[in-house]
Amino acid sequence: MIDSTSRADVADAERFARIGIPADAESASRIREEFAGWLERFFGLDPIRSSDLVLAINEALANAAEFAYVTTDRPGTMDLIAHYDPDSASLTATIADQGVWRMPNPGPPARTRGRGIPLMEALSDRVTIETSTAGTQVRMQWAGVARP
Amino acid sequence: MDEQHATKTTGCVVDEEWVGRVVVVSVSGVVDMLTAPQLEQAIRAALDKKPGGLVVDFAEVEFLASAGMGVLVAVHDEVTPDMRFCVVADGPATSRPLKLVGIADLIELYATRDEALSALSA
Repeated sequence: MIDSTSRADVADAERFARIGIPADAESASRIREEFAGWLERFFGLDPIRSSDLVLAINEALANAAEFAYVTTDRPGTMDLIAHYDPDSASLTATIADQGVWRMPNPGPPARTRGRGIPLMEALSDRVTIETSTAGTQVRMQWAGVARP
Repeated sequence: MDEQHATKTTGCVVDEEWVGRVVVVSVSGVVDMLTAPQLEQAIRAALDKKPGGLVVDFAEVEFLASAGMGVLVAVHDEVTPDMRFCVVADGPATSRPLKLVGIADLIELYATRDEALSALSA
């Protein structure tokens, strides 16, 4: 859990939060659409920037949905919190799960998989991925995010 | 009006069309981890009919995730060298991420369906 005091659903000018979402493909898809709606409502992004942000967020959610709980015997949840800082015109998104980080398989990677992290790196200004026994936290940042 | 259907905006629609011996699998809507299996199934069904060439048309795709890109790479790795395969994609949601992760270096990419079809018949 990113912040246990967070309300489950927030979408105002500075913050978009979805806490405790089921870590599955349906939820990843739905939250992506809601996040895209939030961007459209509060920011004046050009089509490339807005497309980049939505895809990066999707890939982080999709990774959590696909991998975080594969070794656990019950379905888990994931959280997305995006925060806008008007002073620095930057947007920070954190995607967290309480699952187990899946180490890449040894040997040559499957060519059909594994593009999530390269995409997150290419589509955001900065990515950090923190893994611990408590779960995985992906933080992405975008600078120069303008208001309309 | 089926309300449940009307509110479902995140799916994709896949069509198959033949232009001579070339099969065009065109997709509209969203290609993500939820809908990528549907795309893969449609492409495999088209390939089963032994086309001379395959065009996957993403012109009407509004969102493309890595799950959809994986389908393209899987198809690329499976088709025989005598069968041409290319993708139609143009714009920030499709051709941009395909270029960013290097899939455009692996698979021929065209901005329009006409360009793809004339490349395949060349």
